[in-house]
Amino acid sequence: MMLALLPQLLVSGIAIGMLYALIALSMTILYRATTVVNFGHGDIVMVGAYLLTIFVVNATLPFLPALLASLAVLFVFGYLLHRVFIWPILEGPHLSLAMMAIAIGYALRGLMRLEYGQESVRMPRPFPEKVFFIHDVVITLDEVVFCVVVIVLLLSSYLVFSRTRFGRIVQAMFQTQRGASLVGIDVRLYNNLIWGAGCALGALGGVLLGLILVLDPDAGAWTLLRGFAAMTLGGFGSLHGAVVGGLLIGILEKLLGTYVSTAFIDITCYIVIIVVLLVRPRGLFGQHATLRI
Amino acid sequence: MALLEVAGATVRFGGLTAVKEVAFEVEAGTVRALIGPNGAGKTTLFRAIAGEERLSGGSIRFQGAAIHDLTPHEIAARGVRRTFQNGGLFGDLTALENILAGLHMRTRSSLWGLLVNSRRAVQAEREATRKARQLLGMMGIGHVADQPARDLSGGQQRMVEIVRALATDPPLLLLDEPAVGLAPPVRTELLGIIRRVVEQQGIAVLLIEHAIEFVMTVSDTIMVLNNGELIAQGTPAQVRENREVLEAYLGR
Amino acid sequence: MKLTRSVFWIAPMLALIPHLLLNEYYQYLVNLTLVYVLVGVGFNIVVGNLGQLAFSNVAFFGIGAYASGILTTQLSMPWWMTIIPAGLAGALAGCAASIPALRGVRLFYLAIMTLAFGELMRWSYIRTPSLTGGSMGLSVPAPELFGWVMEREHDKFYVFLFIVVVVVIFTNRILESRIGRAFQAIKNDEKAAAAMAIPTSRYFLLAFALSGFIVGVGGAMYTALVGHLSPEAFDLVQLIQQFAIIMVGGLGSLVGSVLGAVLITATPELFRDWPGFEELMFGVVIVLVILLLPRGLSSLLARAHSVFKDRYYRDD
Repeated sequence: MMLALLPQLLVSGIAIGMLYALIALSMTILYRATTVVNFGHGDIVMVGAYLLTIFVVNATLPFLPALLASLAVLFVFGYLLHRVFIWPILEGPHLSLAMMAIAIGYALRGLMRLEYGQESVRMPRPFPEKVFFIHDVVITLDEVVFCVVVIVLLLSSYLVFSRTRFGRIVQAMFQTQRGASLVGIDVRLYNNLIWGAGCALGALGGVLLGLILVLDPDAGAWTLLRGFAAMTLGGFGSLHGAVVGGLLIGILEKLLGTYVSTAFIDITCYIVIIVVLLVRPRGLFGQHATLRI
Repeated sequence: MALLEVAGATVRFGGLTAVKEVAFEVEAGTVRALIGPNGAGKTTLFRAIAGEERLSGGSIRFQGAAIHDLTPHEIAARGVRRTFQNGGLFGDLTALENILAGLHMRTRSSLWGLLVNSRRAVQAEREATRKARQLLGMMGIGHVADQPARDLSGGQQRMVEIVRALATDPPLLLLDEPAVGLAPPVRTELLGIIRRVVEQQGIAVLLIEHAIEFVMTVSDTIMVLNNGELIAQGTPAQVRENREVLEAYLGR
Repeated sequence: MKLTRSVFWIAPMLALIPHLLLNEYYQYLVNLTLVYVLVGVGFNIVVGNLGQLAFSNVAFFGIGAYASGILTTQLSMPWWMTIIPAGLAGALAGCAASIPALRGVRLFYLAIMTLAFGELMRWSYIRTPSLTGGSMGLSVPAPELFGWVMEREHDKFYVFLFIVVVVVIFTNRILESRIGRAFQAIKNDEKAAAAMAIPTSRYFLLAFALSGFIVGVGGAMYTALVGHLSPEAFDLVQLIQQFAIIMVGGLGSLVGSVLGAVLITATPELFRDWPGFEELMFGVVIVLVILLLPRGLSSLLARAHSVFKDRYYRDD
């Protein structure tokens, strides 16, 4: 009886998992480039949705140009963020890097709140809500969009990575920064670009989120923790780990939330983080282990 | 019974065997050096003795008891102290406080005693401070005792490390490349310190070093490691003549 | 050295003077500052002195606050009797938070895990309404000390000040002793510390438990101060503010905790009318501090006069 729900849960789980995967992926490329964990990324994701709203509502742009504009703004933001705030302190204490990211996220949160105050905002939708039925499984248009967007993104990133010069350089940098700089690669420039890309990707995730969530300056924490859960499960630093992790978290949330308790919709990500780091810190595909003292 | 007995020690990392069936003994009051080309397994063996690497086979016994299953701090508590290749100095603490950290075991007092400044707690701290200053003074660096360790010169830092390791009169001292980066006069001074503590206090020293002249002068016995295996042990004169050793890396 | 010691006695006595001149509202702010001093002191032990990236402080704060609140509402305990239990609850949470660290989890892994722990605690406040009032929150009666009901902010001030002075003095003693030395040693080089026969696991546990205790007591004070607890007060926003205390004040420095506490209590007051502006300012200030004054405000003051130097915290 309950088992009949399984296909539905899997489908919905994978759909939201795609979104988590996107967010985790955007965080992972920042981490791979600079070994910095961007604790402010959740807020950056939300800014994507807010910016789109501002462009559509205040600047009365049509959806697509507004989307491109938001992504562009966040690309530039990410570029500058790394160049001005991260690069100078990269060699310093880890706490400073973590705090820098948090503080910037916090400032962004303040900006969003300044602009919108206490009112709850709905991001404008480019297409109406719609529901499809495949056998007994309900799937919304939003969910389809999540899957399509992320799959297209993954495919194109794969192509960029393996076919373009830029992609090959980034791959080299992911392997070893020092080696890359020794062969003449401008590490700082590429880090800037990678941070730009990571923030833009995060913004895209924010826009997708905006389809299903009411916008709230405090939603950054929600986003951040799910991104972390996906990265932890998949293995910190692993790109396919981020994707697999995101999908698994999405599925787990749905399964545990239905079969065990609705509480798990909220706490699956926390539990995954705690359990994985205690039992197998490097996750599924990661490499770094823990200290042995 | 020798102070340190290593028997059949083997350390494997996945498919790679870094240390292969190494066996030797260190007697109290002697200096034994471990030399060999880079990658020979010297550091791995060292770390295994200090408890930072797990043995895949064999045993290490100190004062008759097995220590290869203990954690580093347990081994240190039993009287095996070491210095590190890249400092290991506590930069934020002063030279004096570094020594006090070395004396940590000896400055015991209860939490309650610390909170209320009990006579015992104050006494313990005072005693330790006195001893630490004395030790620093004996090594000729008493005047920098209250400076942060990271502000000291390379030679002074090395001295602080040695004093810190010796602070509890440990029966066994492990020195990891103690002479590296030191100017010749400082090396001579170091040499003198090592021979003095060995002869006057009966401390045993096991050291890794690349500076051949230093090794030849300071050691009673030299062991040569190559590809994880002990290929020679003997007095400096014997090792100098040993053909295999010469082939391995002296390159003459 | 003697001068530094007497600051601990003199400063609180000086603080008593303005108390006579302040109205209820400003007295409330001073009391809030005292709460944040404890929060900062506790947080600093783990992050500043032991040098670990632990983001669990809000969890300790919330657990202490709710422990006090639950004991007063469910068991009708007078507030003063809940202080130690709140501290112990915080210490217990500290032990729990140290478990990953004991297993070798470090750096941002530890940060993420303690973050998840904090959020899990906050979720539990919302989901146990019978105990905690859920998202509606928990209202507690006015705090009581041996039968004396402290209705006015001035009343609470005496008690808070006493608690803070005691905690600060004891923390200073601990940090100046071999324990504080062990913390710093671990922070500088964990392996070398172990090689000095310092049982690092034990000191991790001690640091976390001590931190948890102090912040837990701060939580109990918070409950007495605000009279009503809600889960939102213990979210990531609160964590960032607590970070601001220690980062802007000076990591590892007791003086810094005090300075930082004053700062984050005063700042929101200046910007109360502009929601969001305060957050923006906080973010900007922290960024500037990291870039320009990484050792915090106490380092500035320490250069001015040695009275502001903690002996175990150096900025050179």
